Amino acid sequence: MGSYILRRLLQSIVVVIGVTLVTFFALQAGGDPTYLFVSERASQEEIETTRRALGFDRPLHVQYASFVGDLARGNFGQSLSYRQPAMDIVLEALPATIELTIFSLVIALLLAIPLGVLAAINRGTAWDGSITTFAMLGQSIPNFWLGIMMILFFGLYLRWFPISGHVPFIAPMMAGDFGTAISNLPRTILHLILPGIAVGTYSLARNTRLIRSSLLEVLEQDYVRTARSKGLPEMRVLIHHALRNAWLPVVTIIGLEFGFLLGGVVVVETVFSYPGIGRLLFAAINQRDIPLVQAGVILLAGIFILLNLVVDLVYVRLDPRMKLMEGRG
Amino acid sequence: MKLRTHLAQTAAFLGTVVLVTGCSERSPDTIVVGLSADITTFEPGMISSRDNANIARHIFGSLFSLNPDGEHLPELAHTMEVSDDGTAYIYTLRDGLTCHDGEPLTAEDVAYTFNRVVDPENRFTGNTPGFVLTAIAFRGAEVIDDLRVKINLARKNPIAFGLLTEVYIHCKDSYERMTLDEAASGPVGSGSYRLASWTRGSEVVLEKVRDPGTFQQIVWRIIPEASTRTAELIAGNVDIITNVVPEQVDAINSSGRAEVRVVSGTRRMYLGFNLSEESRAQPGGDAIQDARVRRALQYAVDVPTICRQLLSFECERATGPVNPPLGNPNLSPYPFDPATAERLLDEAGWARDADGNRFSIQLQAGRGRYVNDVNVVLAIGQYLQDVGLDVDVQLMEWASVYTPLLRERSMGPLFFLGTGGGLWSPIYDMTDMADVASSTNYTHWNDDRWFSRWADLSDAETPEETRSIIDEMLQVFYDDGPWVHLYFQPDFYGVSNRVVWEARRDERVEVFEAGLR
Repeated sequence: MGSYILRRLLQSIVVVIGVTLVTFFALQAGGDPTYLFVSERASQEEIETTRRALGFDRPLHVQYASFVGDLARGNFGQSLSYRQPAMDIVLEALPATIELTIFSLVIALLLAIPLGVLAAINRGTAWDGSITTFAMLGQSIPNFWLGIMMILFFGLYLRWFPISGHVPFIAPMMAGDFGTAISNLPRTILHLILPGIAVGTYSLARNTRLIRSSLLEVLEQDYVRTARSKGLPEMRVLIHHALRNAWLPVVTIIGLEFGFLLGGVVVVETVFSYPGIGRLLFAAINQRDIPLVQAGVILLAGIFILLNLVVDLVYVRLDPRMKLMEGRG
Repeated sequence: MKLRTHLAQTAAFLGTVVLVTGCSERSPDTIVVGLSADITTFEPGMISSRDNANIARHIFGSLFSLNPDGEHLPELAHTMEVSDDGTAYIYTLRDGLTCHDGEPLTAEDVAYTFNRVVDPENRFTGNTPGFVLTAIAFRGAEVIDDLRVKINLARKNPIAFGLLTEVYIHCKDSYERMTLDEAASGPVGSGSYRLASWTRGSEVVLEKVRDPGTFQQIVWRIIPEASTRTAELIAGNVDIITNVVPEQVDAINSSGRAEVRVVSGTRRMYLGFNLSEESRAQPGGDAIQDARVRRALQYAVDVPTICRQLLSFECERATGPVNPPLGNPNLSPYPFDPATAERLLDEAGWARDADGNRFSIQLQAGRGRYVNDVNVVLAIGQYLQDVGLDVDVQLMEWASVYTPLLRERSMGPLFFLGTGGGLWSPIYDMTDMADVASSTNYTHWNDDRWFSRWADLSDAETPEETRSIIDEMLQVFYDDGPWVHLYFQPDFYGVSNRVVWEARRDERVEVFEAGLR
C-alpha cells in the first residue's frame, strides 16, 4: 500500500510539471503580456521599461526555468496584477469555491439517489420517463444559462434568494473566528443555493442516470433474485442488497465529481459574482497574470490528483474483489 | 417516514434562512456601486484600470482635480504657479492637511509621492509612472518649504497641469513603514474616504473620514456579468451600475426602480487608415494613400444610424479627435451621402469593375472591447461594401491578437479603434498624433500641415493664438486626415431611483456629491 501511494505521488509530480509546461506556454502563445500592463498611450520606451520590470524581456525557456526553480523552493512567484504572492491570492479564493463545490456535490448526491432509485424501480413507467427526461435536460442545459434564468426568476421576480455575492463560512472558521462563521452560516447557505444548483445540475443529472442504470443492472443479478425468493421485503432487498452494490460506481465518481465541480465553476462564479478560484483564474487568464494562473492550476491539479488517489483507495476498501496491483500500479 | 421528516426540517430551515436574511433594508448612509471589473491593488504606483482608479480617487486626494466639465480646480493644494519657461509647477498646499493615519500632510509628503512612484527600485507599472509622469517628462519633485512643493519637468508641456491631477498623494512616514505588499492592500490615503474592508473579487467598503462626501459608507461591488448587474440594480440591491449593455436599457427603464443615464463619453471611436509602407503593399493599402479616397469613405458610413440602431443612443457624428465642445466650431459632421462617396471614388480613379467592386481592403477590429463593437464593425463593413469596396472584415481577439498589432502599429489598411480623450484640453486629445513616430499614431499619417504646427503651438503666447492654430490643425485633420470619424462612445450607467447622481463624460465614477432622492 505504502509503495503504491509513493509511486502515485511520484507520478503526480510528472503530471504537475506537465501542467505547468502546458499552462506557461499556452499563455505565452497568446502574445506578449506586457501590453496589458501599460497605458494605451505608452511609448515604446515605456513598454520596454515595463517589459523589463515584469521579466518578459528574458527568453521563454529562461522564464520557464526560473519559474520551475522557484516552484521547487515552494515559491509560486508574485501575481503580476496584484503584486502579492500568487499562492496567497489563490488560497484566499479557495474556501469560497470549496463551499460552492461541496454544496453542489451535496445537492447532486442527495437528489440523485432517490431520483435514480425511483426511476429504476419504476422502469418503463411515467416516473421513469419523467426522471430520465429531467436528467437529459439537466445534462443539456448550459449552467450559465440556468444561472441567469434562476437569477431572473428566484432572485428578481420572487426575490427569494440573493442575486449575487458570497458570505464566507470556511474562511472565518479557518481563522478561528467560529462566532462569525456560525452567524454567517444562514446567509452563506442562502447565497449558495442558486449558484449551487447551477453548478450541481449537470452532476445531479449524470448521477441520476448512473444510479438508475447501475441499479437496474444489479436488480437482474442472481443474489437479488435469491433474496427475493427468500421472501425478504422488497425495501430490504433494495437497500441492503441492490443499492449497496449499485452504489460502487457512484462512489468511484464522487471524488472525480468533486474535482470536476471544482474546476467547472468558472462561468457560474462569474454569473453570480462569486469570488472563488474560478473567477480569479478567469480574470488572471484574461490579464495574462502567468504566476497567478500557474498557482491556481497547480493547486487544482494537486487537489484532483489527490482525490483520484483517495477514490482508488476507497474503492479497494469498498469492493473486496479489487486489490492494488503491486508492481503494476 | 424519517426521510420525510428530514425533508420537512430542511425546508423549514431554508425557509427561515430566506425570511431572516432575505429582507434587509438598505441604510440611508450607504451607497452601493456595482462595477464590471475586479480591482487589483491600492498601491498608488500600480493603479491602472479605470475601475481601480475610480475607487482610489475616493481614498487619495490630488493636488488639483478636474470637475465633470473639465475645469481645473484646487484640491489638496490651493494654488498652482508655473515657471516662465514652463518646466516647473509650484503648488502651495492647504494648511492642516492630514493622511488617514493622522500624519500631517506637508510638501515633503507630496515630493515623496512623486519621487516614490518613479523610483525604479519599486518597479511600478501603473498609470502614474507608466504614462502620466513619463508623458510630462517628470524630472523630480522638491520641497520649497512646509507647504510649497516644486514639480520639475524636462521641457514645457501645455497639458502637464491636467495630467498632474492623476497623481494620488500619500504620506511619507506611512508608506515608508509599509512593505509594497502592505501598501497594495492597506492604503493610507489623503482623501475623503478610508478603506474599511476589501474582499478580493467581491467588494470594497470605504468609510468617510472628511468632506466632501454625502454618504458615510461607499460599497463598491464587483459584478462582472452585465445581466447580473442589471438584476441587482432592479432588485434595489445596488444604486449605480456601470457598463449597462444597450440590450438591457429597456429592461431597466421599464422596471420603475431605476433608469439608464447615457452620456456621450470621451472615447473617440474611429476607423483608422494605416498609411504605412507595409500597409501599402496590402490590398487597398495603395488606394487609401489618396486623400480623396479617404474623404469619400467619410460619406459612405451612416454614423447616426449606427448610434441609434446598434448603440441605443442618439449621437452627433465626430468631426475630429477633439471632444466637444473643444473641437473646431466651424466644422460640420460629414453627412451620410453614398452618392458623393461613389462620385469621389470615381474621380480618384477607383471605378467599379465588372463585378461592381472598386478595390479590396481588409477591415480589422478587436472584439469585446467597446460597446457592441462587433456589430458596429460589421455594419461599417457593409456600408463600405455598398459603395463598391470589397471588404474583408477580420474580427480578432482583443488582448492577445489585436493589441500586439496596435502596439506594433501594424494593423491592416483599415482598422476600428477607440482611444481615450479628455474634456480639459483640446491639445490632450490631439496628442495621439504629437509626432509621426508617436506610439499612438497608429495610422502613420505624416501630413506636414499637422505635424509642423506642434512647434507653433508650443510657441503660442496667447490663448487666442493657441486656439487659432488648433482650429487650423483640426481643419486639416477633417479634410485629409487619417480617420473616418465615427462617434464618441456612449457610456451607459444604471441609476436607482433612490439616489441622485450625475454621470460624468470622462468615465470617472465619483459619488462625493451623490445623495438620496
